[in-house]
Amino acid sequence: MRQKKHLTALLILLAPLEIWAQTSSSYTVSGTVKDKSSGETMAGASVGLLEKPGIGVTTNSYGFYSLTVPQGHYHLIVSYSSYALDTVDLVLDKNMVQNVSLSSGRGQMQEVVVSGARKNNITKTLPGVQRLTAEEIRNVPVVFGERDILKTIQLLPGIESAGDGKSGFYVRGGGSDQNLILLDEATVYNASHVLGFFSVFNSDALKDITVYKGGMPASYGGRLSSVEDITMRDGNNQKYVVSGGIGLIASRLNVEGPIVRDKGSFFISARRTYADAFLGLSSDTTIKGSKLYFYDVNAKANYIFDEHNKIYLSAYFGNDELKLPYKFGNNFGNVTTTLRWNHIFNDKLFSNTSLIYSNFYYNIAILNSSNNISIQSNVTDAHLKEDLNYYISSRSKLDIGVDVIHHILSPGVGTTTASSSYNSLALQKKYAIESALYASHDWTLSRDWKLTYGVRLTTFTLTGPGDFYTYDNSGNAKDTMHYNEGAVIKTYVNPEPRFAATYQLDAVSSIKFSYTRNVQNIHLLGNTTSSLPNSLYIPSSNNVKPEIADQFATGYYLNFHHNMYELSSEVYYKALENQIDYKDGAELLGNEQIESQLQYGKGRAYGWENFVKKKYGKLTGWLSYTLSRTERKIPGINQDRYYPAVQDETHNLAVVGMYQYNKKWTFSATFVYNTGNATTWPSGKFPVNGAPVYIYSQRDGYRTPAYNRLDLGATLLAKKTAKFESSWTFSIYNAYDRWNPYAILFQKDPNNNLKTQALQTTLFGIVPSVTYNFKF
Amino acid sequence: MKKSVIALSALFLVYSCTKTVQLNLNTTASQLVIQGTVSDTSGPYQVLISQSVGFYDNSIYPSVSGASVTIADSTTGITDQLTETSPGVYSTHTIVGHPGDTYLLTAQVNGKTYTASSTMPQPVPLDSVTFDNQSIKNTIRAVSNFQDPVQYTNYYSFTQYVNGKDLQEVHTFEDRLSNGRYIREKMDNDTSDIKNGDTVQLFLIGIDYNVYTFLSEAENIAYNNDNLVAPATPTSNITGGCLGYFSAQTVSSKKGIVKF
Repeated sequence: MRQKKHLTALLILLAPLEIWAQTSSSYTVSGTVKDKSSGETMAGASVGLLEKPGIGVTTNSYGFYSLTVPQGHYHLIVSYSSYALDTVDLVLDKNMVQNVSLSSGRGQMQEVVVSGARKNNITKTLPGVQRLTAEEIRNVPVVFGERDILKTIQLLPGIESAGDGKSGFYVRGGGSDQNLILLDEATVYNASHVLGFFSVFNSDALKDITVYKGGMPASYGGRLSSVEDITMRDGNNQKYVVSGGIGLIASRLNVEGPIVRDKGSFFISARRTYADAFLGLSSDTTIKGSKLYFYDVNAKANYIFDEHNKIYLSAYFGNDELKLPYKFGNNFGNVTTTLRWNHIFNDKLFSNTSLIYSNFYYNIAILNSSNNISIQSNVTDAHLKEDLNYYISSRSKLDIGVDVIHHILSPGVGTTTASSSYNSLALQKKYAIESALYASHDWTLSRDWKLTYGVRLTTFTLTGPGDFYTYDNSGNAKDTMHYNEGAVIKTYVNPEPRFAATYQLDAVSSIKFSYTRNVQNIHLLGNTTSSLPNSLYIPSSNNVKPEIADQFATGYYLNFHHNMYELSSEVYYKALENQIDYKDGAELLGNEQIESQLQYGKGRAYGWENFVKKKYGKLTGWLSYTLSRTERKIPGINQDRYYPAVQDETHNLAVVGMYQYNKKWTFSATFVYNTGNATTWPSGKFPVNGAPVYIYSQRDGYRTPAYNRLDLGATLLAKKTAKFESSWTFSIYNAYDRWNPYAILFQKDPNNNLKTQALQTTLFGIVPSVTYNFKF
Repeated sequence: MKKSVIALSALFLVYSCTKTVQLNLNTTASQLVIQGTVSDTSGPYQVLISQSVGFYDNSIYPSVSGASVTIADSTTGITDQLTETSPGVYSTHTIVGHPGDTYLLTAQVNGKTYTASSTMPQPVPLDSVTFDNQSIKNTIRAVSNFQDPVQYTNYYSFTQYVNGKDLQEVHTFEDRLSNGRYIREKMDNDTSDIKNGDTVQLFLIGIDYNVYTFLSEAENIAYNNDNLVAPATPTSNITGGCLGYFSAQTVSSKKGIVKF
């Protein structure tokens, strides 16, 4: 521990030296990397020099790069997966701007040439990071024929699905609310549509996703377990394109084109499901009047004012509607807006300023003439963010930034009519300011060693107005304090150190290490006693402490067979503090003193993740296997011992294969297998008023049956001309009709009063679907 | 409210399928179950003592005989020693239930002592029983109609008899979100339970907070256990390490005949 402190101190001392060590005969080449056909900027492209193999940079989120090297004659090599590599002859005798456009696709011949440059996964410092482009997931089969980037990442090691029909996913043993999901920098609070069947992200509208399972750079913060950074497409700035798809239960339409050619473009994408159209066919009046649909719209525009200034405006909104006549209604959705201004101060300093608005609303209504109530709750964030990338030298880059978010959490306003059995209610809104200051330094120490280290200083302040309670041990309010508007109830300051290092063993392999601390101040309270799809967010407060996670990870990375295959093997250990749990029989609905229903514990998670990917050729795909354990320890539960958490899955296997049979047909298959989740089942029963009520001896003491499923897909390219392109996508979800459990209900046997039984519900048996896609 | 929301799952049923599964469940050592009541209606009142069984056993709970059971009214100071009238059933003799009084249960079973106390709330009269056949297809449900008193925090449970037979269900209601309202609460039951022409007798039972906590947890465990993140055995209001509850309660009942 002490030694590590010394190392960090040394680095901080050395960094400024590095800055001033530039000789006057060094010059900078900088610019933007774009896609040739659409003009979209490319994040994460590798930029290097043939003559200086040890050094290189990757483009930032806006496609910008900057390299400073001594005067000379160089060949600039720019590469990006599935794009043809580009080489630019460069006589560097002054600072210069060099923009590069890459063409998509690659010939067989290039494979060999390119292979030397394609080793991002080896050289990048951060372990536990994976990037997927929308293009890469095009052929992965998914439910109802809708490809879905957030479902696809659940096939990667360390990322578990929460199960059929359940929204959310777990990363390295974290909770589903511990994932920071960003769409063009805006926090998306609820990333799932209709009870988890689809994510809110329409893949047509997306450029790529970067998943950080560990080793998050200091520029990210606010959630414990992972970051899913999703970028929307900018739109084609060369020509107008209309594309879309018509499926059995959903259709999509996209329009994009230049605002001013080469200067600006726009992109609009919309999608809607019509599953409820089938409900109308039902003879059952209850089902007939039911509603079950969602829609979502993505829109983005960008405009380049001059060489130094570019703005982007992105927006998303989506809405889900569920309704059962006389019974129940539920609608929810997200709205996000991001306004960004890229400013290039000079060839070494890049700035991005973002103004972000994010809102998640959640409404429930009991639709019953006598017992009606509708409850509206929402979370609203106003967010200002400034990020600076300073390209000090070819070996050194400094990122600094500041982040300020104003949260308003409105847990519920309930309205009722005179005939209702319920009173109207208005729960107090909660106000908080979450701010962070960060600095992160990328440093190439030598040809073999690369470091990324930094710190994020997070401040969370809960402010008035409102009444705030303190509780005794049994959860009774013992004191109430009233605070006026703006008064500070509680402030938490937390430094979050981040450190990652890569040691390159040879041209094709490396070892990486990382340590990350993350802090989370916005917590989701999920389902407990109520079967409501609850989405109640609470801030850290005088009672609720910030959740803290420390993660250590290390891994081995290898590219083999001319970089056609990529292999990684990582281990991680994560310790979690201040994890939230509920007291037995906790009442979360409409409860002003909700914090009295909570209890707190610790968690730990460790695992071994393995991943092999075949990147090129007729057959592509990957194999992912994770061996892991996730445990919780909560006072009063299971004799205060560590016990398996709900997300504990010992084995998790995913195999994804895509086979390009010929120019017309592409086939694909996905197989998943995982150990059943830890669950709590009865160990006996006793009578209450004559009804059987169950006895539970241990929390999470049982396992649900193992989950397994095979999905198949086929894509037929029906027509492809310069002007028009069309294809058919056929898919079979759960091809061998495996009945995986969605829920198990213990109940009285309806046919025998003396017996009790376990009834398993399966959400999806085999589901075939077909979608027609077009583009012109 | 929590139950009407279960209906959401009905939307799933459009796509989903169910089957009964045979699970390998452990059985804990048999535990003592005590269920006793004192009410504002005339006695004798009963305390039932039995034992828990395994999940896949028949729902016949072995009765526990030879216990020494007393109920005392701590407000009036009267103590009643109960007599075992049939195996596991212990009956009172003299004690009378009064709203506002606190009652103490003491049971000595196999050398161990179990105690509980419960305070009888002020009575709330049941107004009427009506019926609903709209909100769940092919199901008739009894509706209990009553005025919740605004000056008290009230906790309720319900029982229903169809043609004189107890449906043996657990159903609770609290006025936390409904204080002072006129309440129309639908009773859940199986599709086959209530038919046209049946006579339904509904009991509105006023209970105290600890009994409500036990019964509402029991209700969730009995009918909604698949939706609970971490189901747990309901917390008894009896100390000493047993299951069940002791309740001093008020009872108001009404009858209705189903006509649609």
